[in-house]
Amino acid sequence: MNRFFEIFFVIWSWLSALCLVGAVAAILGFLCVKGFPALNVELIFGNTEPLSALLLQKQVFDGLFPAIVGTLCLVVLSVLLAVPLGVAAGIYMAEYAVGYVKTCCDFLFDILAGIPSIVIGLFGFTLAVFLHKNFSDQVYPCFLISSISLAFLVLPYIVRSTQISLEEIDPAIRNTALALGASRLQNIIHVLLPRALGGICSGVILAIGRCAEDTAVIMLTGAVAIAGIPRSILGQYEALPFYIFYISSQYADQAELMRGYGASLILIMLCTLLFLVAFLVRKRIAYQAFYKA
Amino acid sequence: MFELIKIKTENLSFSYNGNRILDNVSLEFREKTITAIVGPSGIGKSTFLLTLNRLWETVPQSSMSGRVKIRFDGKMQDIYGNGMSLTGLRRKVGMVFQAPNPLPMSIFKNIAFPLKLAGIKDRRTIDENVERALQQAGLWMEVKDRLNDSGLHLSGGQQQRLCIARALVLQPEVLLLDEPTSSLDDASAAVIEELLVNLKDNCTLIVVSHYFDQVKRIADTVFQFPYNGISQQ
Amino acid sequence: MTRFQEAICEKLLLSAAWTSGSIVVFIFAFMLFLGLPLLSGGHFFSLLTAHWAPQQGSYGILPMMAGSLFLALLGLLFSFPLSLGCACFISVLGPAKLRFLLRKVVELMTGIPTVIYGFVGLFLLVPLVRDIFGRGGLSLLSASLMLALLIAPTMILFFCDSFDRVPRSYLDAVDAMGGSKVQKLLYVMLPNSVHGIAAGITIALGRAVGDTLLALMLAGNAIHIPHSCLDSARTLTSHIGLVFSADFESLEFKAIFACGITLYLFTAVLVLVVRGINHRLRRPL
Ligand SMILES: Nc1ncnc2c1ncn2[C@@H]1O[C@H](COP(=O)(O)OP(=O)(O)O)[C@@H](O)[C@H]1O
Ligand SMILES: [Mg+2]
Repeated sequence: MNRFFEIFFVIWSWLSALCLVGAVAAILGFLCVKGFPALNVELIFGNTEPLSALLLQKQVFDGLFPAIVGTLCLVVLSVLLAVPLGVAAGIYMAEYAVGYVKTCCDFLFDILAGIPSIVIGLFGFTLAVFLHKNFSDQVYPCFLISSISLAFLVLPYIVRSTQISLEEIDPAIRNTALALGASRLQNIIHVLLPRALGGICSGVILAIGRCAEDTAVIMLTGAVAIAGIPRSILGQYEALPFYIFYISSQYADQAELMRGYGASLILIMLCTLLFLVAFLVRKRIAYQAFYKA
Repeated sequence: MFELIKIKTENLSFSYNGNRILDNVSLEFREKTITAIVGPSGIGKSTFLLTLNRLWETVPQSSMSGRVKIRFDGKMQDIYGNGMSLTGLRRKVGMVFQAPNPLPMSIFKNIAFPLKLAGIKDRRTIDENVERALQQAGLWMEVKDRLNDSGLHLSGGQQQRLCIARALVLQPEVLLLDEPTSSLDDASAAVIEELLVNLKDNCTLIVVSHYFDQVKRIADTVFQFPYNGISQQ
Repeated sequence: MTRFQEAICEKLLLSAAWTSGSIVVFIFAFMLFLGLPLLSGGHFFSLLTAHWAPQQGSYGILPMMAGSLFLALLGLLFSFPLSLGCACFISVLGPAKLRFLLRKVVELMTGIPTVIYGFVGLFLLVPLVRDIFGRGGLSLLSASLMLALLIAPTMILFFCDSFDRVPRSYLDAVDAMGGSKVQKLLYVMLPNSVHGIAAGITIALGRAVGDTLLALMLAGNAIHIPHSCLDSARTLTSHIGLVFSADFESLEFKAIFACGITLYLFTAVLVLVVRGINHRLRRPL
């Protein structure tokens, strides 16, 4: 009986592995087969000259260019907002916080990491409406609101990766500089942070990936189907994941659907690229680059 | 011969998580001598050293009672007292660990690191101090042509001397060494023993060791742990 | 560096931590404040148990809660056996090369955007389900199948971590007794990682309930309490995503704050559960 169960278990494990890989292959394969024919310059730039589009001389109306630029800008601004705050908070959690403060913050960050992104989107949306009614008519759900909301969304990733990579440093290394007369802060700056840099970077890359893929937050806070290149942080904008979502429910003809496939393929290539970068960083490239004498 | 007392512990007790490791240890260490601390492992020798430079304070849930006094500028001062700066104390009380722990930087930067921490920026001073420390540690001749190589590429014995040089660069008055030769081969260990005897002129050394013959060769005083009030000279 | 600068820096770091932490409280307080008209007078509980019938002035979110739970549990039901099998494969059972490969595939999966799962689900899975069952293309079944894939990597990586934490000495003991790989797994590793597995399931449940896009794109969004897997349903999350076009002042709109608060509280409870489990884990046996 036991013997039978053991064999069954092994078979099941192999089957699940096959099943999972099969599913991933199906998803990627389906996208590639459908998306590759759509992948060309026209997909991105429409009828506009690529060069003049890149130089922002001409607007692109029927290509993905504005959406790609929108997503990139969104990622940059959100990460710029989240990284300083998150890294500082992570350092505090790992190196200074004790007792009740630590327990309390730990709990709060756990919750923040668990809040569904749509709830954060809802928060951003109501924040915009609140500001609109009470402070300025100029404020609508917009690029800035989206960035702030996304920054909230990825904050826990950055805090946690900073905290964990600092905490897992060998106590012997922690004491080296202290024994040489380093103050707590000097120890953090000169010894601990460089050690933790690899870990922090993979956290940041994770955060970038999250910003690039999230749709729930931006669909409530100002992403629209057609807006052109983002011109002001108080304006509406286009983004790749939102475009895909929009196309999937609103496509009018086969050509538009094809653009959806193309956009999906571009988004997934972007995320795979980030994944590869994270993989290399985790191999401590950052760490070595920092210390090369 | 009249010698000044450099370090004095009074009723020092220490515990991790409520486990008593040191119990009422009162010892005196004479200036410019080598004192060896011997005893079985796990008995609290390393812990004792950590109480002399307050490095145990980073360990969560540890606690200490009693006093530690060190003679700085001619008078005995309580190192746990209010006026004592933590970083200042650690610059005057250097420490070398059991396993060599060079930082992942060049040899030069490793030795200059404590100077940088102390806020010394003058290039000349730094160069001079680094060279002097390397000379003292007997490493100068071996590394003077490759100061920019990584400190991690030295042999074990060289790495340990690098760490000694790094501890010496600030010219500490006390040097604590926690089994400095236990991870090295006999030849490297002999080099370091000789080095320690030479350092006696400048500072007070406390060496934790479990090699009795080593202790016999270099120590002026020996304390046996677990401490029971008896010491042999 | 002077002591003064040190103190300043510590204060800065502290304020960063508190700012980040207070965001969490702020989000909750904000939603509570805006949803207040609906919640005052003890309406909150009736809101949780009533049906959605705007014409009759009833804005209960019971159907959405049912939809969320149904979808999440169904997704978990599909995902858990799959994830456990894969985790065992990665940790012990597979041949070395394949183990490494599968792990990389799983890590890659964590990077695939949700909207891609939704998109492919819509154009690949939904027609398939419709063909096989004759109805129910946009249904809980389609959504939960995709959801199972979405939450699988979370669970797999979590399970693998808890397998890795089983003390080496236990494994050596089994090896010394001549136990096979699968015996080591079944009789030592699994029993010793029950807490980790429970924590992994809880976290995956949180992700499943919190997911918006798959529910929005694949579950059909009909407002009623679902009775079968092939029914269409609306979740709390997709309800938030759909209603926001309505008038901001209307009660209909205010009801989405009830959804938001419910989701938030559910998340907090799950966090507490996971912490409880981890606490158990750390306590010596
Ligand atoms: N960081 C720590 N936390 C808890 N217990 C510790 C810690 N460091 C050492 N100990 C315990 O304190 C005792 C003394 O350790 P140590 O001073 O390193 O001994 P020695 O150097 O004489 O071998 C040992 O039993 C050890 O288990
Ligand atoms: Mg020791």
